[in-house]
Amino acid sequence: MAPTELERPPSMAALFARAALTARGRGGDLPDTHLARTGVTVDGGNLAGYARICGFPLTDSLPPTYPHLLTFPLQMALMGDRSFPLALPGLVHVRNRIDVVRPIGATESLDLEVWAERFATHRSGATVDLCASVSAGGAEVWRARSTYLARGATAPEGAPESDVTVAVGDLGRAAAVWRVPDDAGWRYATVSGDVNPIHLSGLTAKAFGFKRAIAHGMWVKARVLAALVNRLPEAFTVDVGFRKPLFLPSTVTLATAQAGGGWDVAVRNARSGTEHVVGTVRARGRGSPS
Amino acid sequence: MSDWYTTFANSGFGTTITRQLGLPRPAVLRRYEPGQPLLPGPAVVGSAGEGRLRNTVTAVLRDAGVTVQSPVTADGGTDGEKLAAVILDATGLTGPGDLAGAHGFLAPAIKRLRPSGRVLILAEPPSDAGSPAQAAARQAVDGLVRSVAKELLDGSTANAVYVPEGAEDSLAGPLRFFLSGRSAYVDGQLLTLSPADVPTREDDEKPLAGKVAVVTGAARGIGASIAQVMARDGAHVVAVDIPAAGDLLAEVANGIGGTAFQLDITADDAPQRLVEHLRERRAADGRQGVDVVVHNAGITRDKLLVNMDAVRWNSVMAVNLQAQLDITQALLDADVLEDDARIVCVSSQSGIAGNRGQTNYAASKAGVIGMVRAWAPRFAERGATINAVAPGFIVTEMTARMPVGTREIGSRINSLQQGGLPVDVAETIAWLSQPGSAGVNGQTVRVCGQSMLGA
Amino acid sequence: MAQSQQPTTRKAAIVGGNRIPFARSNTAYAQASNQDMLTATLDGLVARFGLQGESVGEVVAGAVLKHARDFNLTREAVLGSKLSATTPAYDVQQACGTGLEAAILVANKIALGQIESGIAGGVDTTSDAPLAVSDDLRRVLISLNNARTWQDRLKVLGRIRPGMIAPEIPRNAEPRTGLAMGDHAAITAEEWEIGREEQDELAARSHQLMAAAYDRGFFDDLVTPFLGLARDNNLRPDSSVEKLAKLRPVFGTGEGATMTAGNSTPLTDGASAVLLASDEWADAKGLPVLAHLVDAQTAAVDYVHGGEGLLMAPVYAVPVLLVRNGLALQDFDFYEIHEAFASTVLATTKAWEDPGYCKEKLGLDAPLGSIDRAKLNVNGSSLAAGHPFAATGGRIVAQLAKTLHEAGPGKRGLISICAAGGQGVVAILES
Repeated sequence: MAPTELERPPSMAALFARAALTARGRGGDLPDTHLARTGVTVDGGNLAGYARICGFPLTDSLPPTYPHLLTFPLQMALMGDRSFPLALPGLVHVRNRIDVVRPIGATESLDLEVWAERFATHRSGATVDLCASVSAGGAEVWRARSTYLARGATAPEGAPESDVTVAVGDLGRAAAVWRVPDDAGWRYATVSGDVNPIHLSGLTAKAFGFKRAIAHGMWVKARVLAALVNRLPEAFTVDVGFRKPLFLPSTVTLATAQAGGGWDVAVRNARSGTEHVVGTVRARGRGSPS
Repeated sequence: MSDWYTTFANSGFGTTITRQLGLPRPAVLRRYEPGQPLLPGPAVVGSAGEGRLRNTVTAVLRDAGVTVQSPVTADGGTDGEKLAAVILDATGLTGPGDLAGAHGFLAPAIKRLRPSGRVLILAEPPSDAGSPAQAAARQAVDGLVRSVAKELLDGSTANAVYVPEGAEDSLAGPLRFFLSGRSAYVDGQLLTLSPADVPTREDDEKPLAGKVAVVTGAARGIGASIAQVMARDGAHVVAVDIPAAGDLLAEVANGIGGTAFQLDITADDAPQRLVEHLRERRAADGRQGVDVVVHNAGITRDKLLVNMDAVRWNSVMAVNLQAQLDITQALLDADVLEDDARIVCVSSQSGIAGNRGQTNYAASKAGVIGMVRAWAPRFAERGATINAVAPGFIVTEMTARMPVGTREIGSRINSLQQGGLPVDVAETIAWLSQPGSAGVNGQTVRVCGQSMLGA
Repeated sequence: MAQSQQPTTRKAAIVGGNRIPFARSNTAYAQASNQDMLTATLDGLVARFGLQGESVGEVVAGAVLKHARDFNLTREAVLGSKLSATTPAYDVQQACGTGLEAAILVANKIALGQIESGIAGGVDTTSDAPLAVSDDLRRVLISLNNARTWQDRLKVLGRIRPGMIAPEIPRNAEPRTGLAMGDHAAITAEEWEIGREEQDELAARSHQLMAAAYDRGFFDDLVTPFLGLARDNNLRPDSSVEKLAKLRPVFGTGEGATMTAGNSTPLTDGASAVLLASDEWADAKGLPVLAHLVDAQTAAVDYVHGGEGLLMAPVYAVPVLLVRNGLALQDFDFYEIHEAFASTVLATTKAWEDPGYCKEKLGLDAPLGSIDRAKLNVNGSSLAAGHPFAATGGRIVAQLAKTLHEAGPGKRGLISICAAGGQGVVAILES
């Protein structure tokens, strides 16, 4: 099916609102909708803000997690549509895998495409993968797969088993300690546009049943990659699993270990050791299949 | 350190008040400044008996650009120009009868003396007299000069210099000192010269040019002033003081282009460390020797003798006397003193007159006087000298903390009716440090404005 | 064609040094700025060596914690000092290695004949530390400054939120790890199994040796009082293992925590300076030569992801320096190993003794071996004096140079200074 092309990114706040209003009565199979935008360029100011908030140096290349900001509104539009079988509020980001085929220049013109696939059975519900592909000059330069869990939801008959496991080897002691302030979610929202209320403040998070605001998983992932900056392969796959929510504020540790030509990483609570994020970074050959 | 009373008494209003109340009217003393002429007016030179120094004196005065007038007669009145100095050559005294000449010369001349004038009597030591009559006449000079000093007004001073047979060459330097503003607060003193190899005359403006001078206790007060005057006169000053005063010491050294050396002079190895320091630092001309050492560091730990503990006694002795002895000895032993070195030790009026509550201090300072006297012959052998300076009431930070009454009385009971300044002590020490002071050795020069204490 | 003359190298002489007593944070120097302290230190050096009005080849110094206004700190200090105003100056910063690095830079220029004399120094204050406005407020204020119309300015001002007002206080933490230096040192201490008692012993010894050195006048020509302080006020002459044993650990966690306020250096204010010169210059000035700076080396370790301790870089730098100079670790009469923490010194020496570590990490066939503890920090070090980051190098260089000079000609000393950012600066001095 040919992708539906959007002229401009959809308004995120409106998407959240609409998704919330139309949450009830969803069901059925995944739509095979592909949403796309072409000739997208990055706003320099937004890029600088993102780099600052995530700890990346500001360079002429995009941080490896940055294209997610471009594709996320399209995924939101996809999920917010009535044809999407799962209700957006309550969807939990449990895994994110990014393939950096090659570094992307900050001024490159990019074509985006997103779609949903792999409606799968999970022991506590169902998962669905929101995929994204970014191309430049006709060649794919970046792709990502975000796995969302809908608790209590049921996958269609014959759905495969969900795979949300990211395994890491032994990780030594913490390489770094981060004090994550209580406005970390709000800050990330200002650059990412991900204004999901559970991240914005304690008050808005409570409204959705969380005791405190939760850090964006993609922000944590970005910070991990920022900590490894200049130690990453040119082309690589970074695959992380989001475990327990990282409540704000928190003090967390980053543990790293070299593994398989890349890294194994974990972000844990500094006191309790609760795992928030575990992940692997592996080099990939240029253009190797994802 | 300002003397508020002297300033007040010399103000228009203060002059009226002090005159009407019959209060002392201390004069503003003529003090030396570089470039100043030796005397601000003419001098008159006279003699009692057949003096042998008149020509020497006249030559020094002429050389300094001073107009030398003929002696005035008793009835000469006060018509003539005011005199800046009155010099009596009394080396020709043979007996009391000759003293009439002294009276005849001095009385009319002193009438014409201008403020901060100088009366100087040159005589021979009574001890060398050939007869009792001569000894009597020579000794009479002592009473004469002390009394004249007490009669003089307006910051004028009177002093006597004993010039023994053969010490004529030693006279020029001391003569210039007593006439100049450098001796502003030296009054009523008797100095005995000795024969010496006096070098050709130094640069008047920089008499210490090229000299290396060590000054202890240089961080503040009189020591800082000594360092400053020495540097002004051309010396490179090694300023020494205890490490705890190092910041002030550095400021003094930096102000005069000298160097700071932090040293507790009472430490066991202090003499050795000073020697090593002087050996390591060489003068600009490559010499390793030191030309001048001023033992100025001193402390007081006052208490009546019966209440004084050993710590007070011992610490004062250690700093004020033992350190001077040990350091001088070490410098001699290590041969770091130049042959014509000058050592000047700071004594005190207390060491001469004694002072209640200062048994330790007075003893130490009296000891200094004995020390220089004893060492003088040894120093003379090599062309060096060692002398002491005994300051009277000098206005310093220390005296500023005294009770007003004590301070005011202390500063007025002298012929000049005022306390001296640290610079007055420094000028005297700088003079004793000059090559031209070769004939002054083993002496203790009081800088006290002719204090009534111990006079 | 004219042949340009090849620069010949010579060894720079260390003529002497000066520092102000070091003061624990927010004590004697609470009101003093870096510039105040550096100027006073330069003036003390000028007084010691009679450099009034002198134009030395160069003054090189730095501070780890710097105000924005101190962009030209050293030159400003020179202009405020008794040195000639025609003395050039520049700032360097290599964390705790700043002072030694400054000395190396000056020595190298002297060695190349580019300058005849120079002053190396460093200063730091944790009392008058630079407070920054929060990053957000800073951005708003920059925008405000750039706004051209009052409408724009109002718009910008509207962006200020109350939370932005709280200032940012510099923390003694590694930016990339978020760990305090003490936390890093605690990890190393645990890895090398450094015991509490040996740390306390080292600390007590440092205090005792430095107090003894003060008492015998060793520091009389190395220190000039400042603001009423004549000795380092961190110095505890009566320090003992028993007293130190009573302190509770402040770094590390659980049973393994051994590092206390007693065996770690406190935050300190202070400044130091060293006068270096060619032999000819010193001779012409009639100044002594205490020692020569023979050679120096820096190294850095990957403490973030490389599994090495933050303060272990000197361990790597020293063998390089030894090889280049054909020396063994034991060929020294004195060792000055900066006591950032007692455990740092102990881990450093232990690493040199460890065959496995020396082979795997340092690439050596045999371990460097042990050093004679009697030759280590013989006049006390940072645990006693305190550690105003950039000022420590100058303190150690001057202190070691004097120690070597006292011991007589031909004596050799090794300096090892660890620095934030996983760096190490080491040097050899010879009398």
